[in-house]
Amino acid sequence: MSKVLFSRITLGFLALLMGQSALNAQQVSGLVQVNLVKADDLTPWLERGTGILAYQNDSLNLQQSLLNVQGKLASSVSYNVVANVYQQGEQHLGVTQAVIRYKPLSNSHTRFKARGGFFYPRMSLENVDIGWLSPYTYTQSAINSWIGEELRVAGVEASLYSAGRSRRSPLSWEVTGGLFKGNDTLGTVLSWRGFAMHDRQSLHNDRVNFADYPSVNDPNGIFHPSYVEPFHELDGRIGFYLGTHLSYYQRTQLRYYFYDNQADPNVVNHQRLYAWRTKFHSLAFSHDFTSDARLIAQWLTGSSAMGQRFVYINFDAWYLMYSHKFAAHRISLRYDDFKVREDDIFPMDMNNSNGRGVTLAWRYTINANWQLGLEQHVNRNQADIRSTLGESPQQDQQQTLAVVQFRWR
Amino acid sequence: MSKINLSILLSIMSSMSYAGNIEVTVVDKQQNALPNVVVYLIPNGQSPLASADSISIMDQVNTQFHPHILAVQRNTQVSFPNSDSIQHHVYSFSAAKVFELELYKGLRANPLMFEKAGVVELGCNVHDWMLGYIYVVDTPYFSQTDALGKASVTLPDGEYALNAWHSRISDKPESFYLKVSIQGDKQVTMTVPSALLPDVNAYENSDNEFGDYE
Repeated sequence: MSKVLFSRITLGFLALLMGQSALNAQQVSGLVQVNLVKADDLTPWLERGTGILAYQNDSLNLQQSLLNVQGKLASSVSYNVVANVYQQGEQHLGVTQAVIRYKPLSNSHTRFKARGGFFYPRMSLENVDIGWLSPYTYTQSAINSWIGEELRVAGVEASLYSAGRSRRSPLSWEVTGGLFKGNDTLGTVLSWRGFAMHDRQSLHNDRVNFADYPSVNDPNGIFHPSYVEPFHELDGRIGFYLGTHLSYYQRTQLRYYFYDNQADPNVVNHQRLYAWRTKFHSLAFSHDFTSDARLIAQWLTGSSAMGQRFVYINFDAWYLMYSHKFAAHRISLRYDDFKVREDDIFPMDMNNSNGRGVTLAWRYTINANWQLGLEQHVNRNQADIRSTLGESPQQDQQQTLAVVQFRWR
Repeated sequence: MSKINLSILLSIMSSMSYAGNIEVTVVDKQQNALPNVVVYLIPNGQSPLASADSISIMDQVNTQFHPHILAVQRNTQVSFPNSDSIQHHVYSFSAAKVFELELYKGLRANPLMFEKAGVVELGCNVHDWMLGYIYVVDTPYFSQTDALGKASVTLPDGEYALNAWHSRISDKPESFYLKVSIQGDKQVTMTVPSALLPDVNAYENSDNEFGDYE
């Protein structure tokens, strides 16, 4: 979908929302996070460096600011738009999700629902707060940092589901499938920069920068710009995903997804952005030991190909997180492991990268509006492509965040 | 004599007659006490109607119906406040009352009148695991058992059919009622004939602070 077309659809959608707001209850909620960061020395990819953490200097920053507008168009039809302002990145104002849902009332044990728009497939059990944020840590897992910056679908999703409680069963299930366009460049950032850890979701009109790697932008080589615009449709092909959710009461959840953007890796546009054939499996798990103690894990494995095997990577990542709530306090500890392995025809364009990270966060909810938090993150990561810029491939990075959050709803 | 006149007369006669207290204990086949069971006594004759200004409350708290089972007399109005900061969409397909109600934060929906006796199973179209019940009885003499499976009802002396209902009891109330004669205080134990349906109350154990981003 072209950016102009998307913008028109978005503006039309917003106009529709404004027009009908007087008739139906429309809820506007929002969240602002301001942080004080002790940053790592390595320049982040956002500033065209090779670092995988988001901040460049010890500074005061607007970490997140979003508006979530939701309401109903009819008994079975609801909508939800998330608009964000970001201090960091190439674009500063845009939309991260815009969805219309159809969920008819039914007394059947197996029910149907569908949604369409610009949205995330529901793979993550980490990003469950407003605006697809994590309520656990500020620096998100490598898996969901990547999904937030490169993956979104402009499409439709249909689901069959059965809520266990209405069947007197502890098991609930859902099977879901989506068809989409507009995610052809998925895999670009992963192939060159590798995984990163942050909470900067890409806006609908965004551009994700990375370092000026000589092997990437050499006109006699791959000749790709040092950025990707993640939500382009280049080849006209329709991608798909299939997923299934299983849950035992509300206590244990398992989600499996297979995602394939079906892109034609030989298609390239005038900016020299390629369509990347990217497919992967995602398995997510969450278990509540008690109502205060939760374990969350996710595993992602897949591949991405560009050109006639100019770039071909296999990627694997997983994390394990434990989160514990003590009254108004929540402590979360996460371990991340990630790697990208290449198998392509250009050995001088180095795509191997890997890393491990530990993130510890404390968040204190003062009242319904205010929350304070502290987070310490450390990682050791390696990206062979750094050597083409004269940097050491292996880097140890760390970052400390103090965050004030204001939320209203 | 019209039915209304008869009921008024019976009401007056009831209020003039002596009152007794019946303590009912409800147990399953293994003699385990059953809490939260609706016990109700139908007098042999027309029961008085609830007054029109009677309002009961079925609240939504932490994305659960509260109480899980609400017993009301026929022709009672039930109000559905929303103590959560999120929207609910309550519905029922039950024969006793078919309705849907959008419950927005800060907006009070009008109470609904429950005019038919029977079970009303409640769901929420936003939160699929939510499940609650309104049990509408055609008598003013009803109560719900406590944690020890005991409930007591004060009522005029007379002849009654003692019934019990709970969402886990598979037997229809008509199939195991007891005929009781009230003259002063009385204690009765009701044993549910069939095995109970599975307990799915563990759905209520999670506070579900963060469930999904749908």
